[in-house]
Amino acid sequence: MTDPQDIATKAEFLAHALALEQESVDRYEELADAMDTHNNLEVAGLFRKMAEFGRKHAAEVERLAADSELPTLEPWDFKWADDEGPETGDYADIDYMMSPVQAMQFALANEKRSRDFYGLVASHSPNQTVRELAGEFTQEEAEHVTLLERWIARHRSDTAIQDDLDPPNIVD
Amino acid sequence: MYHRPMNQAKERNSLSVALVGSGGAGVVTVGNLLLEAAAVDGSYGLMRRSAGPQIRGGESAALLRFADAPVECGGDYYHLVIAFDWRHAERFIDEIPLTAASWVLHDPAGGDVPEPIAGSGARLMPIEMQTQAREIEYGRANMIALGLVSSITGLKLTNISRIVSRSLATKGEDAVAGAGACIARGADIGRSLDIELPIPIAQGGVDDRWTITGNQACGLGALKGGVRFAAGYPITPASEMLEWLAPRLAKTGGCLIQAEDELAAVNMIVGASYGGVPAMTVTSGPGLALMTEGIGLAVASETPIVVIDVMRGGPSTGIPTKSEQTDLNIALYGMHGEAPHVVVAPVSVADSIFTVQWAVHLAESLQTAVIVLSDQLMAQSRMVANRPPDVGFITRRVTAQAGAEKYRRYALSVDGVSAMAIPGTTGLSYTADGLEHDERGTPSTGSQDHLQQLEKRAAKLSGFDYGEHWADIEGHGSIAVLTWGSCTGAVKEAIRRVAEQGVAVRLIALRLLAPLCTQRLNQALEGANRVLVVEQTFSRQFYHYLRSQVDLPVCTQCLARPGPLPLSPGEITAMLMADEA
Amino acid sequence: MNPLPDKSHPKVYKSDVKPVWCPGCGDFGVLNAITKALASQRLPPERVALISGIGCSSRVPAYTKVYGFHGIHGRALALGAGLKAARPDLNVLVAGGDGDGFSIGGNHFLHACRRNMDMTYIVMDNEVYGMTKGQASPTTAPDWTQSELTPSGTHARPFQPAAIALAAGATFIARAFSGKPNTLAQMIVLAMQHPGFSFIQVLSPCPTFRPEQKDWKNIIRPFAVDALPTGDPALAALHCQRDDGMSTGVIYVEARPVWRRSNMQEVAIEDIEREFRL
Repeated sequence: MTDPQDIATKAEFLAHALALEQESVDRYEELADAMDTHNNLEVAGLFRKMAEFGRKHAAEVERLAADSELPTLEPWDFKWADDEGPETGDYADIDYMMSPVQAMQFALANEKRSRDFYGLVASHSPNQTVRELAGEFTQEEAEHVTLLERWIARHRSDTAIQDDLDPPNIVD
Repeated sequence: MYHRPMNQAKERNSLSVALVGSGGAGVVTVGNLLLEAAAVDGSYGLMRRSAGPQIRGGESAALLRFADAPVECGGDYYHLVIAFDWRHAERFIDEIPLTAASWVLHDPAGGDVPEPIAGSGARLMPIEMQTQAREIEYGRANMIALGLVSSITGLKLTNISRIVSRSLATKGEDAVAGAGACIARGADIGRSLDIELPIPIAQGGVDDRWTITGNQACGLGALKGGVRFAAGYPITPASEMLEWLAPRLAKTGGCLIQAEDELAAVNMIVGASYGGVPAMTVTSGPGLALMTEGIGLAVASETPIVVIDVMRGGPSTGIPTKSEQTDLNIALYGMHGEAPHVVVAPVSVADSIFTVQWAVHLAESLQTAVIVLSDQLMAQSRMVANRPPDVGFITRRVTAQAGAEKYRRYALSVDGVSAMAIPGTTGLSYTADGLEHDERGTPSTGSQDHLQQLEKRAAKLSGFDYGEHWADIEGHGSIAVLTWGSCTGAVKEAIRRVAEQGVAVRLIALRLLAPLCTQRLNQALEGANRVLVVEQTFSRQFYHYLRSQVDLPVCTQCLARPGPLPLSPGEITAMLMADEA
Repeated sequence: MNPLPDKSHPKVYKSDVKPVWCPGCGDFGVLNAITKALASQRLPPERVALISGIGCSSRVPAYTKVYGFHGIHGRALALGAGLKAARPDLNVLVAGGDGDGFSIGGNHFLHACRRNMDMTYIVMDNEVYGMTKGQASPTTAPDWTQSELTPSGTHARPFQPAAIALAAGATFIARAFSGKPNTLAQMIVLAMQHPGFSFIQVLSPCPTFRPEQKDWKNIIRPFAVDALPTGDPALAALHCQRDDGMSTGVIYVEARPVWRRSNMQEVAIEDIEREFRL
């Protein structure tokens, strides 16, 4: 497995950036749908908003990539720090009774992973252009981190997962 | 011994021969050779087998009946019995009724003639078949018997020799020569006896005649219907059909899988059929019990399948080698929930071809499960039949074509049948489901979806035009006999006999058991003031089913008996004549 | 310009039906891995069939845009085998849970391994029956007492999927974790491209009935054996037996003749009828 610091061309970097945002969008949409299904509409709305941000960022990356031929990478060929994309989160941190603050903590962890991913590329890529571009992206992700941290600080009151007083249903 | 009121008056021009023996006596081989030789001579015939529970060395009997017209049931009694020995005779002796006119040729080396035989009044004649056979190199007692029967019944020895040479070819020249010498010796003995029992020979050529067993006939019907995938688990008395099908499916571009159990078998055919290939499984009662959940899946997911149940004595493991019609209830009512499906039954060995072909047609046209009820009696009987006519069915599975807009697999339609997208069709992928679903196939617990889909699945069956095939109807008398399956042959013969005594009786033999064509059945019963229901069950399953669906006359009787003894024409005749005398 | 042409984007393989799975369920990861694996292979959705039985994970076909069959409990492998035998041209995937595959469907599992048909079986193993409210499954630890049905545990040795698949003759055996969809996607591609029966046991946590499985992400690690995957069944058996069931990777790969229909000289029905003539 290779590391983020091995990303060596602009096209390769943009392919990663685009996949990061697209995967983020897909995951937030999936989570929002699941929250809708489970009637946690507030968190569904927040995830939907995060997906919207992701779509905007993906569009920005696509603009940057307009004159490049991006490589086609298999899911397991990406040079993420881990096996998975930085903004796909961890299913284990999701609960249908999760509060908006917990949802945003989930999002915060995503943004931090993105920031760290870009940070590694920015400081270690062998390619000067890639380092500069990654530096800008790191900056942007760091801003997202700050925004989310502020949001969470404002909503500190609802951190505990509420209990479902009803037992689970029998389905099949 | 079972006491049967019998009316043997005017038994048709037929000859019944029983061959009994144990421990490798070779009675089934002789029976098959006799049937074939008689067929080549121009006789029609039927041979059924009665076997004990052992794989090897057990007692068995080949029960043959020859006539000048197609034979669809056993006779009332046997004219000729050839017995190599009497070991465990008590197990099958009920199946070989005798009269004072019967001849019993027995080998004294095989032990004393048992009391039920000796006391029947039949004429006994000891013939030393084993001793004779030992005097001939590669001699066998059963070939002595073959020569004996041939000469007594007037079969052409040239035909016998030709058929024997062909069937023993793989055993080597010595075996063929030994058999030939035995046949000649047996024929000499036969000629020296004062017994005359002619085999009834039909008029006309034999070019268009077949010999076929019920199991083979079902298999052929499946191939003709378009079945190209089968899965099954070995079970008596259905395995022979699977064995017959396996190489022939491969030769017709299909395949057969021996599954790990019946649960797998039925689900395999659902999978194959979902893939667009007409599919079938074959089993017997215990297997059908295991398959019912899978059949329900086929009904709910609207996947066409055909399930052939070769019935045997039940419940539980029951009497695997003997016949009964007691799976009717499970075939009709076995599924949980409300699962409308089709149940059909052939009315004779030869009719198994048509009925199974029709079953495939119905399954494919209606996208549902069709259960075919055969039974051991038909399945393991070999019949000399006229070449069955070729029947073509036009309707085939309604499939959705690529480009269909807003495809809904379970769309509500006028006739209840909705187009099925076959995997591989671009743009129409869907998920078939055994969960209740909406028109798209998405699982639904809503009352509206449930009601609509229940109505859809029921309507497509109730609104279908089953044509004239729903029953075999003959005659117009004020007495009607309602029957089904393997009882039909005996009923037909009984009706012919009473007709000769001036009593008109109509036959209604149902081929389509479910859904019951009640309107047509009521029409068929119009003017009948007396009805006799004939079935091979203990608890009168067919009678109760009919009672639940149609208004039968007050004067409705039921002749029901469990297996393994088949109902004979004489018993049915006696029942029909009882009130006419 | 788009690095992932629309034709092969994983989303192309997802339907608009929303999963009933609890948020946080591992099965979401498996669904994503399946769609990624199909996208990687550029398989037209209509060339793929996804067959399942009953249970939470068995709901997966409807969430995809390939042809699906949501059958009855425990019989998915049989249904898939029938489909593959009748339609060898299709890519057949079978998916389900540990109860479906190893308890009620245990016999079919054994025989699917033996038969070695060219299909892929993905079991989402959460060591519990989710849809019937949290009863012990064949893979549940014997001392797990959280179900009212087995208040003092099952006292039965947990089913060992990989070891049993090996003994039964599976020719591709792997274990994966639902929390790593990219790794799982690669494994599914390998499995689908393996000629013969391929089996992937996916550890897929149940947040509702087994909340302690949230820790799985900290326990799961790749098999600590350099030589994996092995083609030596004895060595693979040793890996399976020594492992605690939480190591992931391809455990065993063997090249063995794949089940196929016997090709016979084709004849017409009339030729078959001839055998009945006198």
